[in-house]
Parts: sequence; C-alpha cells; structure tokens
Amino acid sequence: MTILRPVFTFFLYAILAVAAQNAIFSRALGVSRLVKMVEDGSVELFKFGLLLAIVQFFSSLLGYFVSHLLLQLDLSYKTAFLPLVLVLCSTVVFLLVLLAIALAGNRIAARDYLELLPMATFNCCIIGALLLTTTGGYTLLQTLGFALGSSVGYVLAVILVNEGQRKIQNRNLPAAFRGLPITLIYIGILALAIYGFTGHTPAI
Amino acid sequence: MRRNLSVYLSENMDRLMRRDRFFFNNPVFLQGLGLAPVVVAAYNLHNALVLSLAAAILLTPTRVVAALLARRCYPRFRGPLYALTASVLYIGAWFCCRAVFGVGIQTVGIYLPLLVVEPIIIKRYERTKLERVPTALRKGLLTTAGFLLALLLVAAVRELLGTGTLLGHPVLGGAPLPMAQLTCGGFFVVGLLAALWRGMRNLFKRIVSMEANTK
Repeated sequence: MTILRPVFTFFLYAILAVAAQNAIFSRALGVSRLVKMVEDGSVELFKFGLLLAIVQFFSSLLGYFVSHLLLQLDLSYKTAFLPLVLVLCSTVVFLLVLLAIALAGNRIAARDYLELLPMATFNCCIIGALLLTTTGGYTLLQTLGFALGSSVGYVLAVILVNEGQRKIQNRNLPAAFRGLPITLIYIGILALAIYGFTGHTPAI
Repeated sequence: MRRNLSVYLSENMDRLMRRDRFFFNNPVFLQGLGLAPVVVAAYNLHNALVLSLAAAILLTPTRVVAALLARRCYPRFRGPLYALTASVLYIGAWFCCRAVFGVGIQTVGIYLPLLVVEPIIIKRYERTKLERVPTALRKGLLTTAGFLLALLLVAAVRELLGTGTLLGHPVLGGAPLPMAQLTCGGFFVVGLLAALWRGMRNLFKRIVSMEANTK
C-alpha cells in the first residue's frame, strides 16, 4: 500500500489534468497557440507534444524545489518574482533539451525539434501549470502528475479541435464565422461539455 | 472629397488590413492572440482594468527592450530572451497594479503572471527578421491599443450578460446569460464578437470598394 498510494496519487492528478482540469477546456491555457497550430496545420503534433511533455515534466520538477526555496526566503513580495523564477526554470530545461537534441545526431529530425522547442517551452500551458502547482501547494508527486497530465491533455485538445475542423469549416458557414470565430465557438461547446461533466470549479 | 478618400482607402486596403492593429487586424479578434486572459479572466470590467494596466506596462517595453537585446543574441535564444525580458518587467508591472488596485489584483489569479508568456507579448521572437526599435515601439503601442479595446469590450459584454451590471453597478436588473461568466461562455462571447468584427471589416471593404468604383 505504501508503494501503491504514491502511484495512485500521481495517476489521479495526471487524469485530473487531462480531463476535469484540462488546460484548454477549463482554463484556456495556450489557446492562442492551439488556434494557430490548427489554422496553419504545419506543426508536427507528435514532436510538439513530446517536447511539451518533456519540458513540462522537468520544469515542474525544478519549479517545485525552487519555489519551495523562494517560499522559505523572507521576501515581502514573492508573488512579483514568481514568474521570473518559473521562466528561469523553463529556460534551464530549454537549454538542457537543446543540448540533448544537438548531441543526439540525425540533423534533419534535430532541426524540426529545434524549431519547435521555443514554442513548446514558452507556452501558457507550461507556465500556467507551474503557477497552478506552486500557488496551489501541490506535493511533488501531485506536481509531476499534474504536469504530465497537462501536456497530454493539451495535445489531446489539439487533436480534438483539429478533427472538428473538418466538420466546421464548410461552405454553408457564413463567411464571417469561418476560421477563428467558429473554432472558438467549437472549443466553447467542448468546454461546456467538460463543465457539465465536472461541475462548477473556479477557473481562476 | 469622400470619393477621393474611398479611392485612397481602396488602393491601400491590403496594407491597411495588414498594418492596422487596432481595428482591421485586431490582435484578439482577427489574429487570435492574447486569448487566455480574455476568455477566462476578463469576465468583468474590474478584472479587465487590472489586466489592461499590466498589459500596457508590459507589452511595448518588452517588445522594445527585446528588440534592442536581440541584436546581440543568437537566434535560437530569442524565445528565452523575450520571456525573460517580460518576466523582469513584470516585477514593475506587479507593483504598479498593486499600487492602483491593492488586493484587487488577486481576482485575476494566475492570468496576471501568465502575461509574461502570452503570445501577444512575446510572439515576435518566432520571426527570423530582427525588428527595428522604432518599429517595435510603433507596433507595440498599436497592439496594446487593440488588445485593450478587445479586453474591455469582451469584459463589458460578459459582465452585462453574466450579472446584468457594469463595474458592479446594476444596469439590466437581472442576469440574461449567467453562462457568460464561465470559461465556455468566454469562448462563445469572444467567438461571436470575432465573427461580428470580421463581418464589419468585410462590410467596410465592400462599401469602400463600391464607392471607389462609382463614377
């Protein structure tokens, strides 16, 4: 039971972040990026998702320890410095992943990953999840589970909206609604479905 | 006189549609930037004012400072450069917001610190061409104006629909659509306003084109 309980906590928070607390449908974190990705269709989702998950997981790990150190300091206005601390954590992970890609070889694949890396790192989904876990007083396992779940939930949301595009972008739609407006309304319908499933939880 | 204006507008329509970040190419309703704070946190005018002040302090200075620093930076590191610049400037923005709104800044929760990675502020790093400082200043100011317009408009509509009030003062005597206060309601309101915005833009283009072609 002592082994199973942490595993259970990790997966519970991961599932929570994928479904009930989905980054897009419950908090609109990274929705600007999602809309662009869906419109362009040029971003390779698997590579983007992989980078997002790696950066989010390790940023959360680093962010957890650094934010605990910050809380122990006798600073009056810690919240003013929190984004800088979290962006620094993401930057450290960004540099490590950059180094790992550069050392991995296979230049063609590496170029794709290098182009996607800044997009996957300096993203509202990553910093938003970091802010939620640090200000929400999550434990280490809860933080890691939530971080991994957030990135998986984000990628699933992109797939869901991408699939919906085939139905919603047709000729019968009035010209003013094509593109961004109908995509937002479609995300709104999905968000309403998630809201109906989870009940009222404050997004802020 | 009016026809001359129509001819001028018709000839420069593409440039106008591309460059004007206030109405014709509004960053929120037409480019889909800055959606997270608009969709979730801007459910009343008070929250919109907090976010507006922070965005006004952050957006243009981040763009200008990052445009200056980017000249000495390796292209791969422009992403961290823009995000770190915004994070440093956020410290000043937080103190300004705190001085003006006091503990009221807590009502926007994570959406205030989240501005440091919001694409409307840092997206310029994705472009390979370096931005000149005067251009960064001009575009930054225009984008800020367009963002504030959208933010305040969405917040006013959502507050009116969701609670029937404006800045907490009763206006309608009831709440016609309480769902407008929720995240899903935010998506609907922003989607419908974006459609309305596009419709108005298309109508303007058609009228200008008709007037320019009238003999």
